[in-house]
Amino acid sequence: MQTFVILAGWALLAALLARQGMKAAASSAPQAAPFLGGGTPDSHAWQRYHFRPYTMALVFIAFEMEMMFMYPWAVVFVSEGLTALAEMGMFLAILSVGILYGWREGVFRWE
Amino acid sequence: MGMSPLARLALRAPVPVFAAIGPGRQADVERLLARRGLRRALTPRDAAVLLLAGDLPPDAMEPLGRVHDQVPRPRRILRWTDRTETGDAVADRLATAWRGLCGGEDGDDDLQPDAPSNAWRGVGPHGQGGTGMMGGTPYGRPMAMTGLDIRDGLQLDRYTARLGPFAPMLPPGLVLELTLQGDVICDAGVVCPPFAQPADADAPVLCSARMLALLGLEDAARRVIRGGRPGALWLRGAVPRGLGRIEGGGDARERLAGYLAGTPAALAVPPLPELLSGLEWAEAMLVLASLPPSSILRATRLREAA
Amino acid sequence: MIAGLVLAVLATLAFGALLAVALDGRLAILAAQGARQRVETEAPDRLNRDLAPAWYLALAAIGLSVVPFAEGAALIDSPVGIVVWGSCEALIVVTVFLHGWSPNAPFPLIGAYRYAAIGLPVLLPSMFVLIAAALPAESLSFVAIVDSQRELWNVIRQPLGLPLFCIVALALTLRGPMDYADAADIATGTSAEESGPARVLWDIARAAMLVSVSAIAATVFLGGPLGPVLPGPVWLWLKIAGLMALFVLGGRRIARTTPSRMLSILWVILLPLSFLHLAISGVLAL
Repeated sequence: MQTFVILAGWALLAALLARQGMKAAASSAPQAAPFLGGGTPDSHAWQRYHFRPYTMALVFIAFEMEMMFMYPWAVVFVSEGLTALAEMGMFLAILSVGILYGWREGVFRWE
Repeated sequence: MGMSPLARLALRAPVPVFAAIGPGRQADVERLLARRGLRRALTPRDAAVLLLAGDLPPDAMEPLGRVHDQVPRPRRILRWTDRTETGDAVADRLATAWRGLCGGEDGDDDLQPDAPSNAWRGVGPHGQGGTGMMGGTPYGRPMAMTGLDIRDGLQLDRYTARLGPFAPMLPPGLVLELTLQGDVICDAGVVCPPFAQPADADAPVLCSARMLALLGLEDAARRVIRGGRPGALWLRGAVPRGLGRIEGGGDARERLAGYLAGTPAALAVPPLPELLSGLEWAEAMLVLASLPPSSILRATRLREAA
Repeated sequence: MIAGLVLAVLATLAFGALLAVALDGRLAILAAQGARQRVETEAPDRLNRDLAPAWYLALAAIGLSVVPFAEGAALIDSPVGIVVWGSCEALIVVTVFLHGWSPNAPFPLIGAYRYAAIGLPVLLPSMFVLIAAALPAESLSFVAIVDSQRELWNVIRQPLGLPLFCIVALALTLRGPMDYADAADIATGTSAEESGPARVLWDIARAAMLVSVSAIAATVFLGGPLGPVLPGPVWLWLKIAGLMALFVLGGRRIARTTPSRMLSILWVILLPLSFLHLAISGVLAL
């Protein structure tokens, strides 16, 4: 409970500072145009952006799931001993094959 | 004087200058802004003084107005047209203008009329409505539309804009019409060639400083221009091997090594669209910075003649 | 006790951020910018624009709250402190992305997506390094991790840990070779359309995050408040200041490579290195 009060407290304090302690933003029309070194855009910048490393993001999710298992694993590691080390070693080895495969397929190359 | 401590502290800040560089003045401005007490802002939003060096051709006046108006208030425009005026004198003028602005002087007004460049023709509450939620033109601008990608053929939005002539990452005067998908340049076209610059702008020191600034080493770039050593790690190694390879001119990494060793480069650069298409943004800007301004100018003129 | 710790967190953030800005040589610059106009872009996402720096600041405060200022005295004395900090790291990526997304302008947008591409894989070495530190402590709590360093600091016991975490720290605070959000080739990226006090607030939030990241590094690798003669908090402050100086001065002197190349380096070199680090630390902890 105390943890949540503290988390909410910091968030609230920071939000108040940013919303209330700050002068309002205002521009004339020519000031508001997006900066392009004197150039002009054809359209708004918001778009269905081509996020090149999207395949990398999929590999990333696999590793994040693995992280979930590592938290409890880290706590019991010393008491479980070598078994724990071997188990996580196998898990990481399998994921490493995934990295190698991704590397070969050019997943990390912005394509 | 009843100045607050904060205001007194602000007076000691280096003058934030956005440079609009005209024909023949690139080297002068780059050397000027490497001085102590001046700071080159990479966006007008970060600047207070707009330094206009040289005489602009008439078609660059409208872009100048756009950049000028993007500088937050209070702002001042300073002209450096007299070639005989020394860097010291200009630095003094910049400092005086900055002190004036800090002291509460009113700055310059907008150069452009305060009216939206296009009327609001939005559909729906946020203006984006219409066919497929992309039909409206809020703030007079349409939303981006999809197209084929050159790397993986995915149908995602293409963003087209004209960049320059005062974009700090491009040679002064160069206006490119770029079509981006994500951060990869799909199409590039030269709208205006860069302004002609004297041979001084090709000096290895200035060429290496331009590349160092793009590598995130602004301090090192200033040190190099002032005649010192870069004093930074992983300089050449940070430039990918094979990037911007030009026949007879090596790749960007080799050119950086050459500049740092003091060798000027003279290159036959292929037309810019050929050079830039298909590159990711950071790579493309690094390639442009690795070329001496005179070579870029020749490459764009070649294009006009063809 | 709690009031004292809240004050300690606030004071550490405030003075630490001041120190970080001073180390950067930007005190006068921020003072000057604060008085200038705050520009608004065309059709921005106002809510996210205003709140992005606030979340960055709040995440810095939360990160600092899990750090024990004296032995056994952390504001958030959670048994899963590493998980709390890990979620802060993930939310930093979201926050920086929103900062670049909200102005509806091309350069900030490129910076935002670029940071997402680099920020995600940076989280992996970070968590492997922190979990390696949790192994000898047999706990995910930072208090227990400090306790496990009584005989030997982790910086010596797990030599790869701090160097790997330095890279994470630079990425989370948008600094030097890992500053992919606010790079020069995109006219300072996610900040390209910010002016005046908004720019200042973002810089202060970055500085506060530097304090927080340095505090985590000091706790995990340098024994946090452990040390002879001087009281615990003083030791912690000294270690934080030392690490901040390392990050600021080191970050300025290392070149930044292109984002696609950094992505490969992160996955193909740094991630396997962090596996190796975890394996070595695991064997040593048994």
